[in-house]
Amino acid sequence: MYSGILAVPPTTGTYDNLLNWYLTFGIGAAVIVITMLVVFSIRYRDRGQKTPMPQHKVEGWKIVLITVMISVSVLTTAEYQTFSSFGNIEIPSNATCIQNTGMPCIQINLVAFQWGWNFTYPNGVFVVDHLYVPAGRDIVINITSRDVFHSFGLDMLAEKEDAIPGKVNQVWFSVPTVQVSAPPDVPVYCNSNGTSCLYLNAIKCFELCGVGHATMWANFTVETQAMWNASFGGT
Amino acid sequence: MGILYFFTSCYFGFVGAALALLMRVQLSVPNNNFLSAFYYDQAVTMHGLIMIFWFLSPIAIGLANYFVPLQIGAKDLAFPRLNAMSYWLYLSGGVLAVLSFFVPGGTASAGWTTYQPLAVLTPGTGPTLAYLGMVILAASVTIGSVNFLVSIIWMRAPGMTLAKLPMFTWFMLFTIIAMLFAFPTLIAAFALASSDRILGTSFFTNPGIEPSILWDNLFWFFGHPEVYIVLLPGFGIIANILPQFTGRPLAARTAILVATGLIVLPLSFGVWMHHMFLTGIPVSLQGVFSIATIAISIPFDVITLSFVESLIRGRAKFATPMLFVLGAIVTFIIGGITGVFLSSPVLDRVFRGSYFVVSHFHYVMVGAAIFSIIAGIYYWLPRITGHMYNESLGKLHFAISFIGFNVLYFPMNLLYDMPRRIFTYPNVGDWGLLNGLASVGAFVFALAQILLAYNVIHTWFRGPTAPLNPWGSPDLEWTSHAEEKSPAVGAPPILPTPPVPPTGGWIGQLATTSGSQAPPAPSPESHGTHLSSRPLELSMAALVFFAGAAFYPGWDGIVLMVVGALIAVYALWGWGVDDMHDKFRGPPDEDGDRWPFSAVPKMKLGMWVFLSSEVVLFGSFLGAYIFIRAATSSWPVAGSIHEIPLGTFNTLVLVTSGLTMFLAIQAIRQGDQRKLLGWLAVTFVLGAVFMSVKIAEWTNLANSGFVLGSNPVTSLAASAYYVIVGLHGAHVTAGLIVMLYLMKKTAGGHYTKESHEAIENFGLYWAFVDIIWCFVFPLFYLL
Repeated sequence: MYSGILAVPPTTGTYDNLLNWYLTFGIGAAVIVITMLVVFSIRYRDRGQKTPMPQHKVEGWKIVLITVMISVSVLTTAEYQTFSSFGNIEIPSNATCIQNTGMPCIQINLVAFQWGWNFTYPNGVFVVDHLYVPAGRDIVINITSRDVFHSFGLDMLAEKEDAIPGKVNQVWFSVPTVQVSAPPDVPVYCNSNGTSCLYLNAIKCFELCGVGHATMWANFTVETQAMWNASFGGT
Repeated sequence: MGILYFFTSCYFGFVGAALALLMRVQLSVPNNNFLSAFYYDQAVTMHGLIMIFWFLSPIAIGLANYFVPLQIGAKDLAFPRLNAMSYWLYLSGGVLAVLSFFVPGGTASAGWTTYQPLAVLTPGTGPTLAYLGMVILAASVTIGSVNFLVSIIWMRAPGMTLAKLPMFTWFMLFTIIAMLFAFPTLIAAFALASSDRILGTSFFTNPGIEPSILWDNLFWFFGHPEVYIVLLPGFGIIANILPQFTGRPLAARTAILVATGLIVLPLSFGVWMHHMFLTGIPVSLQGVFSIATIAISIPFDVITLSFVESLIRGRAKFATPMLFVLGAIVTFIIGGITGVFLSSPVLDRVFRGSYFVVSHFHYVMVGAAIFSIIAGIYYWLPRITGHMYNESLGKLHFAISFIGFNVLYFPMNLLYDMPRRIFTYPNVGDWGLLNGLASVGAFVFALAQILLAYNVIHTWFRGPTAPLNPWGSPDLEWTSHAEEKSPAVGAPPILPTPPVPPTGGWIGQLATTSGSQAPPAPSPESHGTHLSSRPLELSMAALVFFAGAAFYPGWDGIVLMVVGALIAVYALWGWGVDDMHDKFRGPPDEDGDRWPFSAVPKMKLGMWVFLSSEVVLFGSFLGAYIFIRAATSSWPVAGSIHEIPLGTFNTLVLVTSGLTMFLAIQAIRQGDQRKLLGWLAVTFVLGAVFMSVKIAEWTNLANSGFVLGSNPVTSLAASAYYVIVGLHGAHVTAGLIVMLYLMKKTAGGHYTKESHEAIENFGLYWAFVDIIWCFVFPLFYLL
């Protein structure tokens, strides 16, 4: 079961597609414009010509119009791509979760504090600095903070949301299998029978929150549903 | 003044860069312990604040101080003493910020964004000093922008129509407008935060009102325009000097101006929520702000492509300024495109708070802004010093800077998964390698600036004499200067024929049409009768008073505040006496091109501009109040705390005083000095009644338990009431003091039918104070 390509979580997949689209057009645009800049300045450099300077029109509206047209069409497409990926940031209703997975969403409450993360699971159990989720379910995390502004970042699932005192924000994600692809800065450790994988320090705080900010990291573990239910599942 | 600004900002730039290098040393290898988190957080915070507020903006203001008057053919800025005032306040604020490092507990450490409630909850006097320094700085900027705006509109030489305005001056105009409307919000934000720290109010400490969101809204409403405030002077320099090095006119000049003035400027105030995509704002709002943000890149595409087009069929000369201009455009392209990535709320789920953001804004604020300002320094150095800089050294400076810059910031794009502002990191992925590279680049980039410093100093004292117009520029700062210094004695002094620039062609044509009506501008140092030490004294007063406020309620703080207040009284009294004796009567204003404000006197225009920034200031405070009210379900019922009949009476008193002030103006318009004095006295009495009732009300409220304290709702209501109504009261009190002064002057017969500008302008101010009350009264008493 470890052979072949690892599964990609849906939010990560959506994000990757969108990023690739932006990268293609972004790098393309940068290369084209910078090349134009370099080529024109060299092509039209001063060679000590004695001939008089050619006349120039002071206002070149044509280029402006072309620029606007190209920009508008590229940027509109970019925005369209972003809007099509809004599933990543819209929190699914219970009905949607049931439609996706056959079961309601799992709600996990998170209270950030200086400096750590307190996860409270449906059965009332709470664990500090370690998020456990079952594979194959839609998960909604309700995030708030006990003291100052933090930001809950789970980069490997392309999800992040601010933890703000007095306010509850939400993120959602789902992990299709116990082992999924992770970026190089997140080491993955799976148990021998493949029922649980630990993603070391996959959760990081992304807003300066005091002297403990740099180490306000937490682990992320994906388990099989049976295993997770035994420890954390609600009644 | 320009030179002072320039060197002071270079000093602060040096401090900011030293902090940056400390951070890069700490981050050069994983698990480093060169700086602890305690010191690293201070370095990261003050690096941001100092670089943005005491280096980037002021260095552009320094160049503008020197060259805007020259470019528009004015002798000086419109209000030289205000100019001095804004410089000394800038310096005072900076002194507070630098001092804050040396008090026990260190300085601010919550990031330059000062996110709440962390910033308010961090104990110590250091952060308070730094935040009060920010308040003083923001006041300095507001004063400066009033001055520049009036100058550019009102002080142009005859024939210098808006259409002929050089691009640098145009872009400074845009910058100033953005400053005028953005900085008052910054004052409000930092004043509220300081009030929490000093007085114990609870704007940002009561979690019930989502204070983090309140701060984000205030800060980023200012913060996004601030990016353009930093960037636009640089773009002005690029647009201004590019043609001198390509030998052909700037392409699409009008389009660039329209794109910047009519699209970038207004839209910059409507995109701030893209800094808040993750704060839990509705998805639909994220979509709206994403569209607004992506739309603002379209005018920048137009500007960039116009710069590129300006090379076509030109004859590019790669002198040092041109190289820096090209470098600035390249870095802006990269920084701009990473900005488009950040406009997507979905991609922001990974990039927010990461080094990708750090790279993005350094590409814009260091690459685009600083490179183009360096281009401006090389370009104008011959005009400032009369000497030519060393070209090969300049080119070497560019090469090392450009390489160092990219080695420093490009790896950060690839560190999109590393949180910013962490003081250390474990050795995972390629973080060690990329951070190491960035640190090497930082040192290369920083050391390269020694070449710039050496080149500037060497040019100043030892450089070979420069030609009078080395770049063949058609702009007045060169042509009038060349005329002034040219040995051709026979030339008519008032209508000089500009020297035919070596590049000829269109520049020659433009120069003959614009230069022919412009009188030669003398050097900007000739302030003459405007010199006064009062601005320096007042700024000292602010410095001492606010330093004291940071130590309040300690007795040393109280002593400092009293001393500061005494200096302020002394300076204001002295200023009044100087003015009473007409010490500052400068030369009368000459005719000039003032469209579209030809009919408005200079002082009155200044007053209008100032009041418009005051509108934003009160708007920010009242906006914060409305935010608080909207976020709180339980609030004292109307009438339960503030007596509505008394408030209504007071409102009527103040409104009546507005009418009597109007009658006073009418009286002097007809030349009746006695009537003027009478109506001024009535206005004064009404104002004094208003303030007395206020004081009685406050005493009552304080005695009846409407104070800051354990009850969160009462505490919040009291915070808002005392601070915001108090701010209005301070405006009324200032008005009363000015009125006493006006009455004294009236009694001395200073005002006549023809000359009574001060009365008219005070009338505007008093009307403004009345109108603000008409918003404050219902918001606090009736709702």
